[in-house]
Amino acid sequence: MSKKILHSLNLNGEEVEVATPAGATLLETMREDLRILSAKRGCNQGVCGACTVLIDGKPVRACLTLTARCEGHAVQTMEGMGGDRVMATLQRHMVESGGVQCGFCTSGILISARELLEEDPAPSRAAVKTALSGNICRCTGYRTIVDAVCSAAEELAQ
Amino acid sequence: MSVVLSPGSVEDAVAMLAEHAEAMPLAGGATLVAMRNAGLVEPTHLINLDCIAELRGIERDTTGGIRIGAMTRHCDTAACNDLTGSLLVLRRAAGMIANRVVRNMGTMGGSVANADPAADYLPALACCDAVLEVAGPEGRRKISIHDYVQGWYETALEQGEIITAITLPAPVAAPSAYRKIARVTGDYATASCAMALDPDGKGLRAAIGACGPGPLRDRDAEAVLRGRLDDPEAVLDFAACLAALADPLDDVRGSAEYRLRLIPRLITSVLSEIALQTEVA
Ligand SMILES: Cc1cc2nc3c(=O)[nH]c(=O)nc-3n(C[C@H](O)[C@H](O)[C@H](O)COP(=O)(O)OP(=O)(O)OC[C@H]3O[C@@H](n4cnc5c(N)ncnc54)[C@H](O)[C@@H]3O)c2cc1C
Ligand code: FES
Ligand code: FES
Repeated sequence: MSKKILHSLNLNGEEVEVATPAGATLLETMREDLRILSAKRGCNQGVCGACTVLIDGKPVRACLTLTARCEGHAVQTMEGMGGDRVMATLQRHMVESGGVQCGFCTSGILISARELLEEDPAPSRAAVKTALSGNICRCTGYRTIVDAVCSAAEELAQ
Repeated sequence: MSVVLSPGSVEDAVAMLAEHAEAMPLAGGATLVAMRNAGLVEPTHLINLDCIAELRGIERDTTGGIRIGAMTRHCDTAACNDLTGSLLVLRRAAGMIANRVVRNMGTMGGSVANADPAADYLPALACCDAVLEVAGPEGRRKISIHDYVQGWYETALEQGEIITAITLPAPVAAPSAYRKIARVTGDYATASCAMALDPDGKGLRAAIGACGPGPLRDRDAEAVLRGRLDDPEAVLDFAACLAALADPLDDVRGSAEYRLRLIPRLITSVLSEIALQTEVA
């Protein structure tokens, strides 16, 4: 067993203490030590986007972020975003349009989509596709996901 | 499993790298942590450069020159209003790296240190005549971007040295552009081209990426082309000089032959793109 190190993290607005292996990634710490399971381990290479979380409000790959570097920064995952109006609207449109099948990619897609709507509240379909180009989905074929983001943006603009 | 150390100064970082033989500097982790996850590197210590103030931020010096701290994230370079005119090419290259999320993580110092032949900054920096500032056990020194890449993933950085900043000459009012040919949005380049026009519009500087271990630039051929930009034959001769310097790979992104064919197309299309910018201006 490798040695565990104690870190204090600000996770979804709460201060938590966690013992995790030295040099662990945030994804490992969340899934193995904290049982925060919304962020998925797809590629562990930064490519698939399934592990995307927010650090200080900006989306990053949890699989490429070391837990040791998260001390003093605010980490947010889907578990802590239920009260966010933009996120709740995106979630509802994803379900209604069939943008969720197995769900493996969904939390990463939603976090990337939310950042897009923050920067560009009325994105074109092309802008949605570009913004989601770092999130791989093996089930839906993407069209229903792009539909969901566009219709959520329309509803939020009303 | 690696021990993470977070020095507060460049001197401390250099000392830690010297002390631990298997230590590596950690910038955004976008490449290094991915390589570690894949078992390609096993550093005993990761020297986290994120707490060193000197490595942060983009500043202008008294002569208008620009200094980009090594830890500057791609998203900040892509949004930097000081990168105008002849330096716009670097801002555009930053905005075409990977996707938004990776741009929030990756740094210019990390990308330059990693020297991936298909990465976007090196051709843009070669076009801008950038100079790298580095610090190591022997002290500080500067390396011209033109002397930097020495082979496939081989650079002029010595053991234990870190890049502290990338410096650029003051921008001049002249159009510049970056074009990247990639299989899909967000992929590494199959081939790329960074180009800037001379302020008088009579000549250009151009660098080709992803067609050899480092960016391709031919300053003699640029001198020959000066004054003949509206002669299509002269432009193709210029592209042929760059293609002669190429040593392209056959890989999943494209064959070596395909890459060679892209070089003249990139040169002519980027040239007409920036010529158009001049007409509009
Ligand atoms: C999914 C994905 C897609 C990508 N697509 C592209 C793309 O299209 N174009 C592109 O150009 N890049 C791309 N990249 C790479 C990305 O730009 C990285 O930011 C870059 O390679 C360096 O990462 P980093 O800054 O996080 O450095 P790290 O990963 O932390 O470090 C990279 C290497 O440089 C060393 N190092 C870091 N900083 C310094 C320093 N200051 N001095 C000396 N050595 C140092 C490290 O020890 C390590 O060996 C992609 C990466 C991912 C994950
Ligand atoms: S698991 Fe992090 S991007 Fe795929
Ligand atoms: S819904 Fe299955 S991977 Fe996207």
